[in-house]
Amino acid sequence: MTRTQLLLRLLLKAAWVRKDRAFTALVSVAVVATIATAALTIYSDLESKLSREFRGFGANIVVTKNSGALTAGELAGIHKIVGNGGEVMPVAYAVASLQDGGAKVIVGGTNLEKLRRMNTSWSFEDRNDGGALVGARVAESVSHGGSWQIAYGHAISSIAPHAVFHSGSDDDSRVYIPLEDFVRLTGVQPNTALVRVEGRPQEIQAAIANLSAALPGIEVKPVRQITQAQTAVVGKTRSVVLASSAVVVVLIMLCMVATFTGSVLERRKDFAVMKALGASNRTVNFLFASESALLALTGSIAGYILGCGIAFWIGKANFDAAILPQPLLLVPVLLGSVALALIASTAPLRLLQQIQPAGILRGE
Amino acid sequence: MFLRLLFESFRRQKRRKSVALLAIALGMSIATAMIAVGNDIGDKINQELRSLGANLVITPIEDTLDVNIGGVNLKPASEGAFINEQDLIKIKSIFWGHNIKGYAPFLSDRQKIQTRNGIIDAELIGTYFAQPLRYGNEQFTTGVRSVNPWWKVEGSWPQDYGNFPEQLPPDVLAGSKLAQQAGLNIGDQIEVGNRKLRISGILNSGGDEDQAIVAPLHIAQIILHQPNAVRRVIVSALTKPEDAFARKDPSKLSPADLERWSCSPYANSIAYQLREVLPNARVEQIRQVEQNQGKVLSRVSGLMLLLTLAALLAAALAVSAAMAATILERRQEVGLMKSLGAGNTAVASLFLTEAAFLALTGGIIGFIAGAILAHRIGQSIFGSAIVVHPVVLAVVLFSAVLVTFVGSAGAVRKAMQFEPAVVLRGDA
Repeated sequence: MTRTQLLLRLLLKAAWVRKDRAFTALVSVAVVATIATAALTIYSDLESKLSREFRGFGANIVVTKNSGALTAGELAGIHKIVGNGGEVMPVAYAVASLQDGGAKVIVGGTNLEKLRRMNTSWSFEDRNDGGALVGARVAESVSHGGSWQIAYGHAISSIAPHAVFHSGSDDDSRVYIPLEDFVRLTGVQPNTALVRVEGRPQEIQAAIANLSAALPGIEVKPVRQITQAQTAVVGKTRSVVLASSAVVVVLIMLCMVATFTGSVLERRKDFAVMKALGASNRTVNFLFASESALLALTGSIAGYILGCGIAFWIGKANFDAAILPQPLLLVPVLLGSVALALIASTAPLRLLQQIQPAGILRGE
Repeated sequence: MFLRLLFESFRRQKRRKSVALLAIALGMSIATAMIAVGNDIGDKINQELRSLGANLVITPIEDTLDVNIGGVNLKPASEGAFINEQDLIKIKSIFWGHNIKGYAPFLSDRQKIQTRNGIIDAELIGTYFAQPLRYGNEQFTTGVRSVNPWWKVEGSWPQDYGNFPEQLPPDVLAGSKLAQQAGLNIGDQIEVGNRKLRISGILNSGGDEDQAIVAPLHIAQIILHQPNAVRRVIVSALTKPEDAFARKDPSKLSPADLERWSCSPYANSIAYQLREVLPNARVEQIRQVEQNQGKVLSRVSGLMLLLTLAALLAAALAVSAAMAATILERRQEVGLMKSLGAGNTAVASLFLTEAAFLALTGGIIGFIAGAILAHRIGQSIFGSAIVVHPVVLAVVLFSAVLVTFVGSAGAVRKAMQFEPAVVLRGDA
């Protein structure tokens, strides 16, 4: 039997004969690896997952041209910067008057489908097949349900509500009609574009900077309360997840170290027998360390797989989108677990080396 | 005899016991810290979400349509209906008054503004900045400074005057765009409606207010000749995310359901209670804020809940493994006890009592450490403490005992399965 074969046999036997002991050690390493993998995987993806939740707030940038309408070229430029994930909605406003009573009302012209997509938080009550989206307060002031007329200068247009919406903002006092109808009625082209950029806070900041640079003379304003709240919430949630994961991982590591150290100390008889049979300190150290490293490696591989599974499931359950495994984490998790196990198992040996094997065997 | 055995076991095996105790304490501090953080995260993030501004808006029922376009208000101040400013304190009187973090009234109209460079046309907005108010015994301040935290002022915020000051002209804010266009600077005097005003700061709100003069409400009321009048009030309230029950129509609920509905701080039920105290007002949720913040909030709370569960499970496993490891090493003791005539029950009860002692001590130490950790996390991230509810102590102690029992029981049973002689010979 060669030395390597002997070593392998010793390692396997040690694990096999005391299955329980090996199993508890394995569990404690696997738990550390699982929780570390899960926490780090979630943390690395949290910013983008949570930022997605802010899409419901609608436009986070307002682009306004102070003189004249936005040209097709300018709109194309905005589209290019915003990319496919976001939304660009050109909109124009005019003050018209209701034919009954003559009260003033703001009419907006835009793509109504985009308007609904941008404002998913509004509640819509579908009315009939008309073409207008009517704010709740306007709908109240023209109490009859059917169509009614508005006047802009000498032009008159009939408004048939498609849906009535509640927003809780100034929009409740507005009527939105398709852009073509609006242009026909007023002759005014949009000078404002509501823009929703999706992404992490820094990506939104970058989009604002790019838009300002690409559109000289056009005002690009973030909707500050939304971008600010997103930055605050995403940042603080990340910090909490990081801090609590750090606490959990560090404490559970200590817990594992305690378990490991404890079980090595319990094996002082094995240690003494080996020494009495003539093994050097180095050999004993090596044997104990290899045992721990083997256990830690197996445990941490199992833990990594389990941790990825947990992160995946948490993503699915909480964000309706899986959090994918991060292969980059595998090496640090494995190395960390093995290093920790080595420290935990070799440190107590140094303590034992100070005692005579005979003393231990006599049970002193 | 039993007590003596127990006592001696702790006295003679200090090292082994302290390893187990350490493991339990560590596991339980994880449990305490995570439960505390997970439990409090909803409130903390809800506070952060208040930086979105108000989530409820109050307007007079009789009011005409708003005619607001590109930051220009085309509705004259004389038109439409108003809310009486004196009634606003009733906002605090509702059942969920403590959830009202603040409110800010507004009154505005377009005015001719005399600057040193000429006359300009701009909106004059009156509001509370940080108005001290008293409701019953409660003192509080409210206004845009807390409700719209994204408003930035270069210079200084004006005070909320009760009346028009006799000597010096009162301070107001000039919107950043207006200031740029009209060449207004901090310290400049302007004249609106024959009243002199002094610009104490330049406001950058990112919204329509950037093109306006923002004055203390009472000053605006005097200039606009609308004493006590308020056109719109925005309210920032801590609310519970809306669910299917929240969307029910309160007028169709049974009395028992209505009580349950009113006793949940839904935006709808707070709006309902506000309508009851302000009968001529329409109270609506600002859906962009209210609907979305609920979504964000439930995601963050859900994430922390799942993370807490994972951490608790991990802590339980780690503690169980530690306990199993310590007991597995004590087979010889079991063998000795049994060969001296101890029954299985006696052995098991000794070991489990030991485990219970360890669990309780470790649980208490872990609870204290966990509470300190949670406090630290709260202070460093949110700037406010995370308070650990005393109930958590009971939960932690119970789970400590449960987890150590589960961990020890298997190992004790295993140890008792062997023949004492085999164990003592060292063959097991």
